[in-house]
Amino acid sequence: MANAMLQQTVGGTLQLLSNSGTHCNVGNRSVRLLPKGFKLEVEFSKRGIYSSGKRKFNVIQASTSQTSVVGPLLAPSSSDTVDSHMKSNEVALILIRHGESLWNEKNLFTGCVDVPLTNKGVEEAIEAGHRISNIPVDMIYTSSLIRAQMTAMLAMTQHRRKKVPIILHNEDERARAWSKIYSEDTIEQSIPVITSWKLNERMYGELQGLNKQETADKFGHEKVHEWRRSYDIPPPNGESLEMCAQRAVAYFRDNIEPQLLSGKNILISAHGNSLRSIIMYLDKLTSQEVITLELSTGIPMLYIFKEGKFIRRGSPVAPTEAGVYAYTRRLAQYRQKLDDMLT
Amino acid sequence: MWSLQSHQGLSNMICTLLCLFWIFRMAIAMLQQTVGGTLQLLSNSGTHCNVGNRSVRLLPKGFKLEVEFPKRAIYSSGKRKLNVIQASTSQTSVVGPLLAPSSSDTLDSHMKPNEVALILIRHGESLWNEKNLFTGCVDVPLTNKGVEEAIEAGHRISNIPVDMIYTSSLIRAQMTAMLAMTQHRRKKVPIILHNEDERARAWSKIYSEDTIEQSIPVITSWKLNERMYGELQGLNKQETADKFGHEKVHEWRRSYDIPPPNGESLEMCAQRAVAYFRDNIEPQLLSGKNILISAHGNSLRSIIMYLDKLTSQEVITLELSTGIPMLYIFKEGKFIRRGSPVAPTEAGVYAYTRRLAQYRQKLDDMLT
Repeated sequence: MANAMLQQTVGGTLQLLSNSGTHCNVGNRSVRLLPKGFKLEVEFSKRGIYSSGKRKFNVIQASTSQTSVVGPLLAPSSSDTVDSHMKSNEVALILIRHGESLWNEKNLFTGCVDVPLTNKGVEEAIEAGHRISNIPVDMIYTSSLIRAQMTAMLAMTQHRRKKVPIILHNEDERARAWSKIYSEDTIEQSIPVITSWKLNERMYGELQGLNKQETADKFGHEKVHEWRRSYDIPPPNGESLEMCAQRAVAYFRDNIEPQLLSGKNILISAHGNSLRSIIMYLDKLTSQEVITLELSTGIPMLYIFKEGKFIRRGSPVAPTEAGVYAYTRRLAQYRQKLDDMLT
Repeated sequence: MWSLQSHQGLSNMICTLLCLFWIFRMAIAMLQQTVGGTLQLLSNSGTHCNVGNRSVRLLPKGFKLEVEFPKRAIYSSGKRKLNVIQASTSQTSVVGPLLAPSSSDTLDSHMKPNEVALILIRHGESLWNEKNLFTGCVDVPLTNKGVEEAIEAGHRISNIPVDMIYTSSLIRAQMTAMLAMTQHRRKKVPIILHNEDERARAWSKIYSEDTIEQSIPVITSWKLNERMYGELQGLNKQETADKFGHEKVHEWRRSYDIPPPNGESLEMCAQRAVAYFRDNIEPQLLSGKNILISAHGNSLRSIIMYLDKLTSQEVITLELSTGIPMLYIFKEGKFIRRGSPVAPTEAGVYAYTRRLAQYRQKLDDMLT
């Protein structure tokens, strides 16, 4: 079992580890691992890992079948440090969709109106933090909306590494000068947080602030359904999903991917539409597939970026839940270092 | 000739005796503010009130109560000795009988009321507080404890009306405000305004009048930021002592007008914070809006210096507890300090003015 293979099939992901034994979680089924040399094919129902129970969730449409194989786990490049100074072979990319906002609760179309979290949304953020507490984070990207920023900051209060997120201010010269840090050690212990409107939720135009009934009265039920569920038809003065994807993916490619390539572990805290746009890019989904893609709120999603490829690794489980201990050897060692720091 | 203690003992006895007469005079209430403490009286809340860490019985109208208090005032959190006002000055102001509110049947503030609430909250523990680093304007978020402090502050102000919120441009103050408001009973929704550019304005537009009605605009400004600490930002206390010398650092921290290298003095911070308050927030208060300000130690003490007309000597020793909101009533152009609202679970005065008592009653009625 020193060698592990990752096999991704329709509707589920097998996560195997070299030293974690014979048991692993796949969605809501448990599967036994087979030794190297055997190829495992398991039929899963369409309900994927990301289902929260509330919505039917299709990670990939039934017609496409993706299988990718990862070779034996490689030894990490610099094994004695939790820092990521040297360019590692693989880095973590975590996506978190914020939890309930005050307008979600009231059933109002939110879009880019800057509405904060409810109590429940706060709890979801902290819970998300538990789940990623053992995954390294070197940089954080959020939208310019408070509900995504709060989600990131609340989640990081649970992180074990204890580096300090620092929000960068670039509005003007004064802002830059005023946020300057004068200690190299302190900068070393910081996680830069970069905010951008390009990671904002899809802008909903004239639907923003209206409830579902008002919009049906004003525009008609079918039109509203069309705006919500189509790929390229925008509401009046708003964005289509295509327009949202265009600016979100461009931002990801131009700003975030280079950081991943340079070895930084990244956390992105954003919104339903900006994140599914990015997932569309990571998983090479079609526009049809992305329309039905739903992200659970407050449940982080982990990707491993390795050799230019994005490998989906599912949702990390909370420390209190039974599950796979880590997703790669490097992450297992990272967690071990964190455990050692306590003793 | 009398020791302080026996003087107090005698005062308490007098209070107890006179209380019997006062029971028949509960329809009329007076507010009297003395050095080091505030008596908060209500027409319908009984005879008991909190003053700092002493309980005092009320006297009927016509008697003037003078009680000597130690310098530890309401704002003390137990951690630091807190002088709200230096011993030498003695301020006594008397507020006449509570006026009937102008529009009593509605929770909204469409009509200009006679008095509005101004709440100040200093954010709680940040990640650099925990590490003992000079923070200044570096945008460091809250710790778990800071989050809890914010929610606790929210409990304390849950019955006080809020029409607009002002915060600094730093996440720890913004989060404090948003977390506190999750506890507010009125259930209006804080909405952060975006004015960075045309796109930001267009993108945050709300298209329903009803929804706008139910919103509490949140305005962020760097002018409410913490004092900018220049070359001390990010250094710990030891590093700064090594680099600049212990006395210099002490001077920068405790003087009124000596800034650290490339930083602000308290005077400079006060200049921009008070100007912002006067130009932006005070007009809103004058137009009848209840305001919540969530900001930082130095920007808030600067504003308090303005509200209470403190001298620079007084403001240097002024310390604000973290996470404990401070209430002022703005009435006829004057700011009246009303102390820290208590959490609903604590014994305390039910409300601070008749208008606030009625506001709370409306909130209670909404539940039934």
